[in-house]
Amino acid sequence: MKQTKYKLTLCDGTACIQGHSKQLRTALEAELSKHGLKDAVSIHLSGCLGMCKKGPILIVNPGYIMYGRVQVADIPEIVESHLLKNKAVTRLIISEDHLYNRFFRIFGDVDFFGKQMRIALRNCGVIDPENIDDYLSLRGYEALAKVLTEMTPEQVIAEVKKSGLRGRGGAGYPTGLKWELTAKQPGDEKYVICNADEGDPGAFMDRSLIEGDPHTVLEGMAVAGFAIGAKKGIIYIRAEYPLAIKRLEKAIAAAREHNFLGQNILGSNFSFDIEIRLGAGAFVCGEETALIHSIEGQRGMPRPRPPYPSVSGLFGKPTVINNVETWASIPVILLDGGDWFSTIGTATSKGTKVFAVAGKVKNTGLVEVPMGTTLREIVYDIGGGIPNGKQLKAIQTGGPSGGCLPVEYLDTEIDYESLAKAGSIMGSGGMIVIDEDTCMVSLAKFFIEFTQDESCGKCTPCREGTKRMLEILTRITKGKGEPGDIEKLERLGTMIKRSSLCGLGQSAPNPVLSTIKNFRKEYEDHILHKKCTAAQCTALLSYTVNDKCVGCGACKRACPVAAVEGTRKEKHTILQDKCIRCGRCYEACKFDAITRA
Amino acid sequence: MLTPLELIKKKRAEAVNRIISKGYLSTKRVYVGMATCEIAAGSKEVMDIFRQAIANGLTDVYLSQKGCAGRCNLEPTVEVVEEGKIPVKYGKVTPERARQIVERHLKKGEVIAEWVI
Repeated sequence: MKQTKYKLTLCDGTACIQGHSKQLRTALEAELSKHGLKDAVSIHLSGCLGMCKKGPILIVNPGYIMYGRVQVADIPEIVESHLLKNKAVTRLIISEDHLYNRFFRIFGDVDFFGKQMRIALRNCGVIDPENIDDYLSLRGYEALAKVLTEMTPEQVIAEVKKSGLRGRGGAGYPTGLKWELTAKQPGDEKYVICNADEGDPGAFMDRSLIEGDPHTVLEGMAVAGFAIGAKKGIIYIRAEYPLAIKRLEKAIAAAREHNFLGQNILGSNFSFDIEIRLGAGAFVCGEETALIHSIEGQRGMPRPRPPYPSVSGLFGKPTVINNVETWASIPVILLDGGDWFSTIGTATSKGTKVFAVAGKVKNTGLVEVPMGTTLREIVYDIGGGIPNGKQLKAIQTGGPSGGCLPVEYLDTEIDYESLAKAGSIMGSGGMIVIDEDTCMVSLAKFFIEFTQDESCGKCTPCREGTKRMLEILTRITKGKGEPGDIEKLERLGTMIKRSSLCGLGQSAPNPVLSTIKNFRKEYEDHILHKKCTAAQCTALLSYTVNDKCVGCGACKRACPVAAVEGTRKEKHTILQDKCIRCGRCYEACKFDAITRA
Repeated sequence: MLTPLELIKKKRAEAVNRIISKGYLSTKRVYVGMATCEIAAGSKEVMDIFRQAIANGLTDVYLSQKGCAGRCNLEPTVEVVEEGKIPVKYGKVTPERARQIVERHLKKGEVIAEWVI
């Protein structure tokens, strides 16, 4: 990226656009070229900066000077005074001491980060996760101190309810309501659990968050402990995250040393401690009742609900169980305010969501965007689009429980309801970008293979049903599909969804059903025409040599099974019974002389 | 007796002092990404280069690790932050690049534009 003397960031959130941020940009560009500053100054756009009341916002870097309520008429003064004479325009400067978006000071000028808004990930990549002083310096544990000093448990719950925060693990249950239900239960033995059993293939939100900022999770849990009257918190994390575990252990030890955990926290009469329980990595243990069984030392299997954990959870006691990202949002809600939090997002989904963007996209990575951001913004503005000039085919959200949305849904605004309406789910935040080279039948097969393998076996629809679905899908990808297979998959899928015990089975058929709904033709091509348009199902491919062949022998050398025959400078042939359809000859040929069908 | 809020403010001031005493106010602050993903991409070796440089007499530099900022395909990442200047963010930092950052950027103040994210 070009290093310029000044970097300007204009807020491009909806409120600031209404406040004429577009006109500001035009005026800025005109003013910059008038003074010949075009090469010395770059202009960047950011997503909503969360300061809508003071918008439009213009940030000047270096120095992170923030101007608020900027009008077109102010632009000449800003350029002449600040950019030419290095004298900031004091009358327009605003200051905000909020917790969110800390990363922005360092990363705000990189387009990948510009559209993001970071609440849960606010400290990730900014502080040293192993040094509690770093966390403390950024108002760490102030939310806990605040609730202990000036709030009642009821007020804490009211604040969380007001924020509109919903569970970030995928189901989207209102967090405040969950706490309230647990708080209302009688008894003085209650538990707070952090679900860090992240199992979706390709998802790494929880790991990154814990590795980047473990204290925020501890603080969120302690606040909940105060709100519901629990003395004990448990973090359930899979053993395959050794670094995250190490950092959590270090964080817990440091927090105990400072009396943020333990007896009579910060001199109050509230006592709370947290311990870590390691999971062995079974996907089903991400389901809350199975997770609770696993902590209790039983086999990780779900049980029917109700009773919900808020009534009868760990050891039969009322339990609040939330996901890592939910916990990380709690300190921000208490310090920046539930009212403020509820201004971010859509009508039904408030705040931000972290996604692990992977697959066929230029900028893979961890992103946190306000609810209501469109899939198009994530894939193109943040993700940078599809590499190698390929076409976008679909976006998969929600991991093995989610669905594939085709290109028509690119302008879907992300929130719990609209994703569900489009035929997928929010899930815990996995997002896989799929290009034209991916076969949707194989993709569905991959996910069913995963859930089939991870099914705990307790209920028949999930145990047997996913197995049968996998068999049918395998047959289709091998070229042995039969007419009627699609209908069979649909019937089986609907039945598994309706009759499975837990979330795993109830959502396992989603990848298949959504690909049938949106990419039915690909299934038909496989079954009726024995053709895989994405050229991924090797059993359906055949390679033949055409008349463009000059007899160079490149394919013969590339073939690992000696299936190519021919003498030099003469047309070669491929022995079909020997060919394993690996495609190496196709890649090796410089003359386009190998036809793939 | 102090209220929890008063206590936390005191603890924060102490924490800030401890960070400052470790050299936070140096002219340049260097942050190396050290999450599992960054380590897998080779950030431990990169960190070692910076540590060695400081052991070998590089002064006025505050070195710290950090978590992952989420820029997966450009890892390992290293930031050089200097008061009054735009923070410089380097991507795909190999040990060789780290050595060059020490020599050219930290010692001579040259921003190596081609590696900037």
